[in-house]
Amino acid sequence: MRRYDVCIIGAGPAGLSAAIEAQKLGMKSAVFDENHRPGGQLFKQIHKFFGSKEHMAKIRGFEIGKELLEEAKNVGVDVHLDAVVMGIYEPHRITVREDDSITSYSADSIIVSTGASEKTIPFEGWTLPGVIGAGAAQTMMNLYGVRPGKKILMMGSGNVGLVVGFQLLQAGCEVAALIDAAPRIGGYGVHAAKLARCGIPFYLSHTVVKAEGNGKVEKVTIAEIDKNWEFIPGTEKTFDVDTVCLAVGLTPMSQLLRMAGCKTKYAGGTVPVCDKFGETSIKGLFASGDVSGIEEASSAMIGGKISAVGAAFRCGFINEKEREQKYDEYSLSLFKLRKGLFSKENKGRTDITKTDEGIDLSMTLFKKGYMTEEELKKFVRNSEIKGPHPVIECTQNIPCNPCEDSCSFGCIHVGNEISAVPKFDENKKCRNCKMCVASCPGQAIFIVDNDIGDGYASVSFPYEFCPLPEIGEKGFALGRDGKDLCVAEIIDVTTNKAFDSTAVVTMKVPKEMSMTARFYRKEVPVNE
Amino acid sequence: MERITKHPIIESFDKGRKVAFTFDGKTMEGFEGEPVAAALKANGVMIHRYTEKRHEPRGIFCAIGRCTDCVMVVDGVPNTRTCVTLLKEGMDVRTQYGKGGTEYEKI
Repeated sequence: MRRYDVCIIGAGPAGLSAAIEAQKLGMKSAVFDENHRPGGQLFKQIHKFFGSKEHMAKIRGFEIGKELLEEAKNVGVDVHLDAVVMGIYEPHRITVREDDSITSYSADSIIVSTGASEKTIPFEGWTLPGVIGAGAAQTMMNLYGVRPGKKILMMGSGNVGLVVGFQLLQAGCEVAALIDAAPRIGGYGVHAAKLARCGIPFYLSHTVVKAEGNGKVEKVTIAEIDKNWEFIPGTEKTFDVDTVCLAVGLTPMSQLLRMAGCKTKYAGGTVPVCDKFGETSIKGLFASGDVSGIEEASSAMIGGKISAVGAAFRCGFINEKEREQKYDEYSLSLFKLRKGLFSKENKGRTDITKTDEGIDLSMTLFKKGYMTEEELKKFVRNSEIKGPHPVIECTQNIPCNPCEDSCSFGCIHVGNEISAVPKFDENKKCRNCKMCVASCPGQAIFIVDNDIGDGYASVSFPYEFCPLPEIGEKGFALGRDGKDLCVAEIIDVTTNKAFDSTAVVTMKVPKEMSMTARFYRKEVPVNE
Repeated sequence: MERITKHPIIESFDKGRKVAFTFDGKTMEGFEGEPVAAALKANGVMIHRYTEKRHEPRGIFCAIGRCTDCVMVVDGVPNTRTCVTLLKEGMDVRTQYGKGGTEYEKI
């Protein structure tokens, strides 16, 4: 039997953060993970994270993963990979299968950070090869560089569906549509808008009728559903796709905690009953991250730290005062992340029609993934502003503020409440550095110059696709709905290290299109 | 299902050397250390096994070792989760029939 002060199960964002914190507090800690690579799902997250600086916002998930691993190594955490924890035994002992042998480890505290698994949804043909989880798509394309399919139908409009849908486009797949049985888009409007301006249609109140094909998915039929979730005859639509991607929610992987005999409750899955430190009904046994309730990676990292603080107190490494101090610091950080339109307390609510600032929310954004110009006008004033300036199309209260930090000229204001809607301060002068465009994790900031002469305006927008447009090339300017608007000429393409793989492309469009044109596609010759 | 050669965010994918393996006796190429399932996908293989009772095809579903839909007979070992089994040179990967055979026993 081997001994550690604390054993942590799961080397994802919560587990690694817990191990680092525990080690820093003087505990000899070990993390066990059944996979051959650590980091949980972090290394599949290639988008920039939300939140503020303290939450590592604007850094891509896989970069955060690298930082965590590096730190874990530096502080001396033992990371056991290909190590399946088979059971937790009283008082604090775990048995682990490593290679083909079983080892027992004892500790003074155990932190369970086993994360979540994807839910699925049955329909006719759901077992056909080609029906995959959104996580599987991410694993295939972002870790192993293999496209999950050529043409894909995404099911589920929560942040996972929206983010993975966009990543599929980045990997060079075609996304036929994004559908959801719910009447409105479940994830962030800014994520939906990225897909909408690429021309991806959203079908809300729709679900899959059947998937068909000879040995694999070749065709999928969807239909609209009524209030009773019954198909409405005559609304069927068929897509020739080879893949259906399911992003229909996550469920906590709490099996180990249940085996250990923790008191549990139902909250979108079986979760342990925990105190504020994540300590379960069994003293010295903690839970953090998605296993204690589905959230996302940023809050899981803080949750992990909080559990480590709890464990350190339980094992006598810190006193009660130190514990409370640390808790206050971390819980404030967590509190900031848990605010806004998509917070836990607002989950499932459809009666919110205004932002915290009292501005009407865009209802089109919930239905189609983009805003109408009329709706946007309530958030941004544009026509009289001279010279280049940011147009911020971030209109829902989400906890995120890298835009404010990115502008060294103080043009963008979010304030202490990081879920506030950002505002451009017209009294400040925008120097057109484009940092805000590249920094916004939601890709929702554009630099617009209403008049660059000869009846033209310029629009700069974030671009994360291959290949990059070239200066001088001509194509079509697209609207927020992804439809062709007018001819556009590319007049600038900026990439630099600070932009972190996000290019900022500037196109020249007729003046009257300055508030309509938001994306670009190169004119593809007819014969291609 | 081809491999991604150019990606706007990921500069390069962490890959081992190119190795040969066989799928139902047919030689294919993949990268050492990637999951067998990824190598099969890159070669266009969709069906990993057929179910015991209804002989229905199954392929990759979760790709992280949870669902066991992608199990195959690998180097003679049935029920091997191909999504978490790493490719080695010369691996013998076979479609699994039913609970573990490489063909249905007289049913």
